[in-house]
Amino acid sequence: MIDIQYFVDYYNDFPFLVKLVWIVSGLMFSAIILLTIYLKVIRYYLRKKDKEFTKFKNEYEALLVEYLYADIESEEFNKEQQAIILKIKDHILFKNKRKMIISILYNLMNEVSGEMADSIKTLYYKTGLIDYALTRLKNKNWYIIAKGIGELTRFTVADVHDDVIKFIKHPKREVRKETQLYLVSLYHFEGLSFLNELKEPLSEWDQVQLLEILQKLDDQEICDIRPWLRSTNDTVVLFALKLSQIYNQFEVKDSLMDLLSHQNKSIRIYVIEVLTHLYGIEAKDKLKANFNDLSIEEQISFFGLLEKLVIPSDEPFIEKHLFHKNFEIQLLALKILKSINIDKFMGLNNLPTHKKSPAMLKLEKIA
Amino acid sequence: MNTSTVDIILHLFHYLFFTYAVAAIGSYIILAIISGKETIEYLKKNSFVNYKDILSSTMSPSITIIAPAYNESLNVVENVRSLLSNHYVNYSVIIVNDGSKDDSLEKLIEAYDLEKIDYIINEKLKTKPLRSGVYKSKNPAFEKLMVVDKENGGKADALNMGLNISTTEYVACIDVDCLLLEDALQKMIKPFLEATDAKVIATGGVIRIANSCVIRGGKLIDVNLPKSLLVQSQILEYLRAFLLGRMAWSRLNGLLVISGAFGIFDKKIAIEVGGYDTETVGEDMEIIVRMRRYMEEKGEKYKVSYIPDPLCWTEAPDSYKIFISQRNRWTRGTIETLKKHRKIGFNRKYGSFGLLSYPYWLIFERLAPIIELVGILYFVVLVVLQQVRWEYAVSFFVLAYLFSVLFSIVALYSEELTFHQYKKKGNGYKLVLLTALEPFVLHPFILYAAIRGNIDYYFNKKKKWGVMQRKGLTSA
Repeated sequence: MIDIQYFVDYYNDFPFLVKLVWIVSGLMFSAIILLTIYLKVIRYYLRKKDKEFTKFKNEYEALLVEYLYADIESEEFNKEQQAIILKIKDHILFKNKRKMIISILYNLMNEVSGEMADSIKTLYYKTGLIDYALTRLKNKNWYIIAKGIGELTRFTVADVHDDVIKFIKHPKREVRKETQLYLVSLYHFEGLSFLNELKEPLSEWDQVQLLEILQKLDDQEICDIRPWLRSTNDTVVLFALKLSQIYNQFEVKDSLMDLLSHQNKSIRIYVIEVLTHLYGIEAKDKLKANFNDLSIEEQISFFGLLEKLVIPSDEPFIEKHLFHKNFEIQLLALKILKSINIDKFMGLNNLPTHKKSPAMLKLEKIA
Repeated sequence: MNTSTVDIILHLFHYLFFTYAVAAIGSYIILAIISGKETIEYLKKNSFVNYKDILSSTMSPSITIIAPAYNESLNVVENVRSLLSNHYVNYSVIIVNDGSKDDSLEKLIEAYDLEKIDYIINEKLKTKPLRSGVYKSKNPAFEKLMVVDKENGGKADALNMGLNISTTEYVACIDVDCLLLEDALQKMIKPFLEATDAKVIATGGVIRIANSCVIRGGKLIDVNLPKSLLVQSQILEYLRAFLLGRMAWSRLNGLLVISGAFGIFDKKIAIEVGGYDTETVGEDMEIIVRMRRYMEEKGEKYKVSYIPDPLCWTEAPDSYKIFISQRNRWTRGTIETLKKHRKIGFNRKYGSFGLLSYPYWLIFERLAPIIELVGILYFVVLVVLQQVRWEYAVSFFVLAYLFSVLFSIVALYSEELTFHQYKKKGNGYKLVLLTALEPFVLHPFILYAAIRGNIDYYFNKKKKWGVMQRKGLTSA
């Protein structure tokens, strides 16, 4: 038989530090045992949840399809549809099932449009799912609010505009972003009015998402973007530049010309790209005059503009930069020269090797 | 030396080892707590993100995937197919055939209907010259693909060639045999596009081990736990390192390494710092340290980001010989990088980079194996001299072991509650059992490889990459 007293006495004889180490070891050992058991429980629960989700998904997808195809013409709900609504109403009392139903409805919304989408929206209202989304807006956790707004955006719930707009200046970026997406999804170009007062930066990620929503709209009539091109918020200016490029805003060329001397280099470079796209031939003289003061990136952008908008009278300028210190500019200058004066371009072959630019030598190699 | 001097030296040693062990354990706990917080924050932030918008948007930035390939004939066609099946809209793939001696190029030409094209390369970075040239596909279905055949110069040289050729703002540098999930690019590009207060110069992702996983048509179909104890142990090691370590360093903006298997870089910065260093075997760590140093010296706000999603799956060594060779190289890479950039260490000018990240890597990564070896030798000396106080030795050994097991279990928790990849029944039991075995089946070999790495670094300068034989990922 194990003599426990022997071990107790043995332990009591240890120095303090060793006793402490054994106590900590004992605690760790207990923690390992408890965590191992709990890990098993968690894994079991997660597997069960996965199985239930698959089962529930199949069941509900079939049910929702049945709901959608049941007498779509009629404004009244038939018995089958009412039964489905009641069933969903019962299930959404449970958080997990509610999440699953919303996720299935989300996916369906992505796949259908027109009357079908309206029908899903009606279901969203009738089952009371909208109330849960509105409750989320009152939650103190930012990510729950953001999820709530996202849900209202997805189901195009316009009548809660006043509840959502309150979050446009929320301290958390994600909440502001979801609010912006809500406004643009529902009110299209008008929804962009938040840009007028936007003080915080609009990230590239936000811009891409906003543009994606706008480009999917049926109504492509854009509002006046000039105020945003004059914004003191550089990210708003960059966003407006993207709008002018996508929507071919020839009427804002004057504002674009002003932006060529903007203090932000990224804006100046982007303006040159937009002007290239909009055939902004009037930018040429201004940029040529300041060429040596431009950064290398701006100079490359300008040569990109020249590549598209070159005319024979640009030849002296092009020739002057055949030996520019930057390889890309050398190459662009050669390409442009070839397009406007092939003889002069061919004549460059006669230059002795040591007088040729690196771009000329590279071209020669592959010719 | 008299007895009291010997006693003082012995005491000094005791306190040194004790302080080091406490500091190491303390740092692991702190990093794990920060990682946990960061992961929760990440999951909250991304739980409602609609990645579909960035997928289809033509306004999303373009990315070039650069994948160096050397003697990859066995799997190269399948691997390229996987790279071409990404869901991102604006991306292209450059395969740099780094002087392969096998028929990799011929296989690619045949499979993807490639033809040689005239392509002017702007040599911003010096590389080995082209061998047979640059190829594009005649088939519009593969218009995103470009294959560059060059003379052998090593992985860093091949990546530099890719940097020279790519025309996009961002480059994703990956190992050609890695399996990228379809949504990898849009998730990895997000940190670059989200940042408004600091420039993101690079983003890294978690690397997962794909041995025994089922892959079909370049897609990951089924995640399995491999049978080999060595590979299983590496899975546990990766989970610990990525989920409990790197997330914290990302939060502290102190990441010094992005795995060479998969990382996205701001191309302009990567070129401005001179591209990958061809003289080191740890080029993935070295370029990050150099990019950070460059940004610090320029005084620009920047960030090296990291995301925990399991986006990149790779094959881990399944033999101890290859494993030791790989870890030996990692050790030499770390030594080379830290030595090359020693100016940063403990230098206030570099802020937390110089005062936190660098010292941490130096003390707890670079010096760890040496201190451990000295500790073992010291213990042996004490045993021989019969100076061991066994009550201390045994209790501390048990404590260290239990801490290691507990820490691994916390990593498993982190995995289960976040990405839950090893779903199959029985895997949990195996992984828990592994937490108890791993200190014996993996750690001694890591220590051995690290010591060999140190010896090779100082006494065998000619040693370069070593052999990394791959068997290829399981295709169903």
